[in-house]
Amino acid sequence: MIQQVENPIIEVHDLSVSYEKKPVLWDVDLSLPSGKLIGIIGPNGAGKSTLLKSIMGLLPLSSGYINILDKPLKEVRDKISYVPQRESVDWDFPTSVFDVVMMGRYGQLGLLKRPKKADKEIVMDSLSKVGMEAFKDRQISQLSGGQQQRVFLARALAQQAEIYFMDEPFAGVDAATEKAIVELLRQMSAEKKTVIVVHHDLQSVARYFDWIILLNMRLVASGPIENAFTPELLQETYGGKLTLLTEISELIQKNRFPNRE
Amino acid sequence: MLENLRNFFSFQDINVLYVSLGTIILGASAAVVGSFTFLRKRALIGDAIAHAILPGICLAFLLSGTKNYLLLIVGAFISGWVSILLVDYISKNSKIKEDTAIGLILSVFFGFGVLLLTYIQQSGNSAQTGLDSFLFGKAASMVQQDVIIFSIISILLVVMVGLFYKELQLISFDENFARSIGLPVKGLIFMLSSLTVLAVVTGIQAVGVVLMAALLITPTAAAKYWSGYLPRILLIAAFIGGFSGFSGTAISYVAPNMPTGPWVVMVLSLIAFISIFFSPKKGIIAKAIIQVRHRQRIQDENIIKTFFQIAEAEESFGEPKTIKMIREKRYYSDKLILKILRRLKRHGYLSQTKEGYFLSSFGQKKAARLVKLHRLWELYLTDYLRIAPDHVHEDADTIEHLITPELEKRLEEKLGYPEVDPHNSKIPYD
Repeated sequence: MIQQVENPIIEVHDLSVSYEKKPVLWDVDLSLPSGKLIGIIGPNGAGKSTLLKSIMGLLPLSSGYINILDKPLKEVRDKISYVPQRESVDWDFPTSVFDVVMMGRYGQLGLLKRPKKADKEIVMDSLSKVGMEAFKDRQISQLSGGQQQRVFLARALAQQAEIYFMDEPFAGVDAATEKAIVELLRQMSAEKKTVIVVHHDLQSVARYFDWIILLNMRLVASGPIENAFTPELLQETYGGKLTLLTEISELIQKNRFPNRE
Repeated sequence: MLENLRNFFSFQDINVLYVSLGTIILGASAAVVGSFTFLRKRALIGDAIAHAILPGICLAFLLSGTKNYLLLIVGAFISGWVSILLVDYISKNSKIKEDTAIGLILSVFFGFGVLLLTYIQQSGNSAQTGLDSFLFGKAASMVQQDVIIFSIISILLVVMVGLFYKELQLISFDENFARSIGLPVKGLIFMLSSLTVLAVVTGIQAVGVVLMAALLITPTAAAKYWSGYLPRILLIAAFIGGFSGFSGTAISYVAPNMPTGPWVVMVLSLIAFISIFFSPKKGIIAKAIIQVRHRQRIQDENIIKTFFQIAEAEESFGEPKTIKMIREKRYYSDKLILKILRRLKRHGYLSQTKEGYFLSSFGQKKAARLVKLHRLWELYLTDYLRIAPDHVHEDADTIEHLITPELEKRLEEKLGYPEVDPHNSKIPYD
């Protein structure tokens, strides 16, 4: 069940990606509609984060290309926003909540430019949207996990993008933060933003998203939740490992063999 | 010796003033540049660069035959960069991990550098005088021209960091995000490495290449104990770096036979040591004091609670309790109990008469609250975590000291103000 769409906001064409020489994504062909809340679902090691990072241009591609808003990534960087996994940074870094959210403005600001008053207002506005304005001068090392995640989301909001990519925003957050994030996602969706979320918890998938991508080293399904979130497709995604594919991948890594000429 | 000291601090010799200013500037600048290497967790790379520029300097000298600083800097720059690239190449394309690669490259380059240096010294070239101080530094051997060149480079380095402050901060905190917004991350890292090479170069004569790594890393490591905010850390690090540089110069004039670098490192390390131990919030001693306070609080509260427990068992609320009675309930030594009782008396929880000790009304309230928290938590553990009633006492004994008034309220509401705990003991409310 892979549904392609007319005038896609994101088009992934024949994407293969290796991580440390080991292929983790094989020939992903995907097109996504605009203005939807999209969940990327799959087991551990399925390549969910890898797909996100590839779209953001953070990993070298073995094959394929990606178009966003019908253009290559470089031309639309100011229209997209990326929320990395919370654990990917060192929260002991000596900086304040305000300064981290201000990083969301750097893309628009450009090199060598100082933040202006308008940027500061945008930062404060983003902080209030995630309920963190009272924490603006707090050192980030003093935040709880949920608060850290909110700061990351505020930074993304400060980018004022059209498409948002979030890597596991629900991982390890408290119930209040989870509710706040869901609220935020709905709001963004109402404003016609497209939000793509790597998600782990199958139970909440149907409540949160209106389009899902099922992934396990290859694309299993992509479509509206009512068509793609079926027991058969989930079984195909989570059940029965593709042992042969895994073994080939490991063989490629071991022998440092190219998976494309 | 004393005379030297007086001479130095009178700054009558204009050269002394120049060299002092110069070392302050280069110390501060190296600290600022080094901050970002430190924050990117690449402290060892600074050390590798510091060692690896030696062969570059020597080769530049051999080829030109003069001590032309511009050429020496070019040589240092090239060999510094070759070492960084080699470390990168080895860690990416072999099974050798980065720290091992750094160790390998550092020693090969430095070994080669010392070979060349020895060769130069024995070649009898008259221009080579002073080159031997490149290893461990000799601030006093600097002349005005050296000072001016190195100071200008140092100031330029700080200006560059200032200009690219927001980008350097971002790539140090979240490199992937920096790349996602299209920052030229590779270019910025190249720039930072180049600044590091140049920072080491500025210190070759005053501090020596070998120990410049300390001036890159240690000020930030120490500054992190005094602040948690990057702009302030940079300022403090700059101050520490400048001060250490200056003190090295002072030593160099007062004791002319001493190499400067080791003294700079000694001063630096002393500051770092003081920071690690005595910083008021993050220092080891401050943390130890907090530990002791916690332990005392637990002991105090346990004894207060014991008063309540004895009274509850014997229905003797308001009657005096003796140390012997307390010890039967709480297995502390007599000495410890006496100490705690004294502390509690001082804080107004207790009063003492001939018959024994009484809880004040303040103390009684506290005792009832502690018992309540203990029993509520036991109930929470059995009801919500499904832990057997005979296993919850130890947990509750710790947690009762930690629960804040807000948590207390939530706990009461969640459990619905229960009457008794899992062992059927009554829960006391105000």
